[in-house]
Amino acid sequence: MIRYDCLKLLAPRITDQLVVTSLSGQKIEWASLSQHPGNLLVGTMGTALGVGIGLAIGLPRRKVIVLESDGSVLLSLFNLATLANLDLKNLIVLVFDNQVYSGTRISEPTATAGKTDLAMMAQGAGIEQAVTVTDLAAFQREMEAALTGAALKFIVCKIEESVSHREITRTDLDPLENKYQFVRYLERSEGKPIFRGRG
Amino acid sequence: MAQKLVDGLKQAGIDLVTYLPETRLNQILPLLRDDPAFMLVPVASESEAVTIGAGAALTGKQVAIYIECTGLYVSCYTLVSIARRYGVPLLLIVGYLGSMADQRNNNVYAVSGSYVEPLLQALQIQFQVLQTGDRLEGNILDAVRQMHALKLPVALLFSGDFTR
Repeated sequence: MIRYDCLKLLAPRITDQLVVTSLSGQKIEWASLSQHPGNLLVGTMGTALGVGIGLAIGLPRRKVIVLESDGSVLLSLFNLATLANLDLKNLIVLVFDNQVYSGTRISEPTATAGKTDLAMMAQGAGIEQAVTVTDLAAFQREMEAALTGAALKFIVCKIEESVSHREITRTDLDPLENKYQFVRYLERSEGKPIFRGRG
Repeated sequence: MAQKLVDGLKQAGIDLVTYLPETRLNQILPLLRDDPAFMLVPVASESEAVTIGAGAALTGKQVAIYIECTGLYVSCYTLVSIARRYGVPLLLIVGYLGSMADQRNNNVYAVSGSYVEPLLQALQIQFQVLQTGDRLEGNILDAVRQMHALKLPVALLFSGDFTR
């Protein structure tokens, strides 16, 4: 199973859910598959899950999907304990675990290539519905259950390292442009102003 | 003083506080918790106080981040990579341990405290050091107006009378 095939299954299922991406490979792949205004293409290690938690707190009736990676989650493990205790029922975390720091281009192994099991760590932190999937059928089953259910889901997707994103043209969306696109979309769809301050 | 600080936050429209507790301003926490105007989000690291706060701010929440000044060191990365890069208005409420006017200063805090202002300057985060509560509500309103005008984090550092 590779990440791009998982994302290809997820993209057509997006309606009004918000999607936050982590770092470069998945950000590039997701941006090529989806130009939804509810995408927040964060693209830095150890930050997407926190931002997604904040979005889910702020919009409790809206589903938030966070696309994470093993290296990124390992960089912000404190998120797991915080998330477990918040128990946000509108949040889905998909961790694409390729067991390497692929962005380094020398594929240094992460801790999950060794003894570390992120789903078990999430369970230990108190996230009850934390599972690992290893094939596309299981991914699709868990993803559908998460999209249609009302529970915090933490799905670790064991994938093979793939560098196909290096052949995809990167989005030129600037972070500030992405923010305003995202916020204006929320303002329209939630029917409320978000940024304050006089113009 | 704690009640005055909480009243000031409320008056400025703050409705969500991410926090990691510290010693100098900790009396605000039970007051915040008892006031339905505020949603309190406890975190395990100041780093995620910023990311979670930023996410909430992008949904329209008016966010304050209450941390110890050493937490600024912990949250440098997320202040830069999320709050500054995306331009997110956040109010940093910071217990300024180790500052010259910290009334409980000692050798545990003094060195950490000495880098706080240069750090904020390096991060280009505007800040004000408060030593008395004489104009506290006004100081908070000023900071919140500035964070919205800049769409960036702005910090209030609490020392002096706030550290007794």
